[in-house]
Amino acid sequence: MWKKECLALGRDRHGLAALFIMPAVFILVMSLALAEPLSARQTAIAGYAVLDLDSTPVSRALDEQLGATGAFRKHERPSGEADARRRVERGEAAFVLVIPQGFARQIGSNRTPELRFLLDPAAPPALRDGFRQQVEAAVIRVWLAHVLERLGQNLMIPDLRRVTERVGPPEIVAEAVGLDESRALALPSSVQQNVPAWLIFSMFFVVIPISAVFIGERQRGTLQRLATQRVSFGLVLAGKFAPFVLLNQAQALIMVAIGRWLVPLCGGEALTLPHDAPALAALGLLSLAVSTAAVGWALFIASLARSSEQATVLGGAGNIIMGAIGGIMVPRFVMPAQMQPWTRLSPMDWALEGFHHVMLRHGGIADILPAAATLVCFGLFALTVAACLGRRGRA
Amino acid sequence: MIRVDRLRYRYRAAPLPALDGVSLEIGRGRVHGLLGPNGAGKTTLISLLAGLLAPQEGGMTVDGEPLSAWRAAHPAAIALVPQDYAFYPMLTVAENLDFFAGVQGFARRQRREQCAAAMAFACLGAVAGRRAGELSGGLRRRLNLAIGLTGAPKVLLLDEPTVGVDPQSRRFMLDAIERFAAAGGTVVYTSHYMEEVEAVCADVAIIDHGKVLAAGPLAEVKRGGAAALSLKLARPLPEALAADWRARFPEMRAADGVADFPAFAAGGLAPLLAELAAAGIEAERVEYGAPDLEQVFMQLTRHSLRD
Repeated sequence: MWKKECLALGRDRHGLAALFIMPAVFILVMSLALAEPLSARQTAIAGYAVLDLDSTPVSRALDEQLGATGAFRKHERPSGEADARRRVERGEAAFVLVIPQGFARQIGSNRTPELRFLLDPAAPPALRDGFRQQVEAAVIRVWLAHVLERLGQNLMIPDLRRVTERVGPPEIVAEAVGLDESRALALPSSVQQNVPAWLIFSMFFVVIPISAVFIGERQRGTLQRLATQRVSFGLVLAGKFAPFVLLNQAQALIMVAIGRWLVPLCGGEALTLPHDAPALAALGLLSLAVSTAAVGWALFIASLARSSEQATVLGGAGNIIMGAIGGIMVPRFVMPAQMQPWTRLSPMDWALEGFHHVMLRHGGIADILPAAATLVCFGLFALTVAACLGRRGRA
Repeated sequence: MIRVDRLRYRYRAAPLPALDGVSLEIGRGRVHGLLGPNGAGKTTLISLLAGLLAPQEGGMTVDGEPLSAWRAAHPAAIALVPQDYAFYPMLTVAENLDFFAGVQGFARRQRREQCAAAMAFACLGAVAGRRAGELSGGLRRRLNLAIGLTGAPKVLLLDEPTVGVDPQSRRFMLDAIERFAAAGGTVVYTSHYMEEVEAVCADVAIIDHGKVLAAGPLAEVKRGGAAALSLKLARPLPEALAADWRARFPEMRAADGVADFPAFAAGGLAPLLAELAAAGIEAERVEYGAPDLEQVFMQLTRHSLRD
């Protein structure tokens, strides 16, 4: 049975190419698209410009302070408000800070400065709040410098105004917490954080080729013929299981290889794989467990659906829902507290947890065993239900 | 001998049974034609014989032994050749045969021999290495048949095995079926091609609405039909005469200058011809006598459309 599946799969070159190329392109595109916005480095994620209508040393200091953080990408200064608005409309800059005339006077007289910024309505609220905080921090630094300068003048300590320049921003060290406390972890890159999620999502899309093969067999009457030859439906399913798990593993390997070697060649950050054998074994075991769950789920959908269209809708929509619930599309920690427990319902969440243990927390086999066992149980349960559905369909 | 005894089967949610007390005897070494309009219950009967469905009432025996027990003792003895091309288009002819022989659990050597015999029977040797999906319609039909033969079955269930093939391939298939029966095999054959059934079947059963309307040797079934009359007219019937004839012979069908009377008593022929002469219409051809299978079929199942 498995030999026939391998021969059939091997001869469907176009289908096979699609099976490998589509997830590969998906991983590549997602890794590169998300590399910058979610990067762990202080890379500017959105552009801004400053329209300085005050043109005083104080307003220029504010401009410099804002640029010094490097949190946002600075654009060329607009020629006027009309130009500033045009740039935001075109999406060239997400924000334009307008420093009004009299800004220096307001700082000098200890009045609350009145600033405003133009923004692209498409800018996410988190980004908008981030920019606002950066502006507030810069204004406070400018104001503090001004206060210290005046105080220095009054106390005859001219160096006092340079305190803010000497002290600079605080140094804050981020420490990643791993499962092994004896080992220090490097801060993960965005690729490291995101590739596992998209890898899992792609692996579950094995539902499309499996259901296409399966429904083709049903429509051609091949399954009926096998039934008359007393071939049990369970054996038919088992015959598909092993080849498709292997195919799914090959897909996963290619996607990991793309994250490791191709993404950096295209300008993204490389996926870092564990170096030690136990962690690599844990990764392999987990990947096998994900394939078991994905192929079991795919065979369940293929047994349930009556047509390819139905399978595509059921399988595709099912995957998207599992991905949405399981923290693939929206990370679990971003979800509202009351929704977070729901993520445990999705096999993709179990898989993601396991991958994060290995890829981000440097866990070993013992750490991923619960997730792997749950995934295998899910796959076998789905397979059993598929076998029951098939038997009922024959009765 | 396969005996089907008062078999009854109703699908879930179906208002009427697909088979309603069907009884049949299918003799060993004979080709048994199973005829009926669409939805008559033929496929259900074939599915029950093939073991795809379990009988709800009634029973089936082979030489006195319940069919299920006989099938358990001889797993490959009944083979179904479905109407669809039930094989793998991406595999070659030889690989398909090998696969379907393999799943029946034959040892490698036996499998090889049976594949070779099935391939020779269906004359597929020249295309053994070609992918099934690249074959012509006739070759696909032959491969479909050959796969059914890989288990060296004693009973072959053929569901419309000649649909969509050219006359040469059809002739080959019919010859192959006759050869199989001549070698002692039993064939249950469903088809809508009456001339095929007349050519190849020794026995026929006509079923409709889940009941057997007629069954037995072909000649007896045909004799059971009333004599039929067919008139080829020089010009169409005048409206008044056509209306009069329709009132007197409700089953008459008149079209394209031909008037068919599926059941017609011999005594009425002379008066009918006289009426034609009085209307000034010449009968160019008059056919009267025992009906052919299609006429018997139409008499029994009526003319109304079923789909």
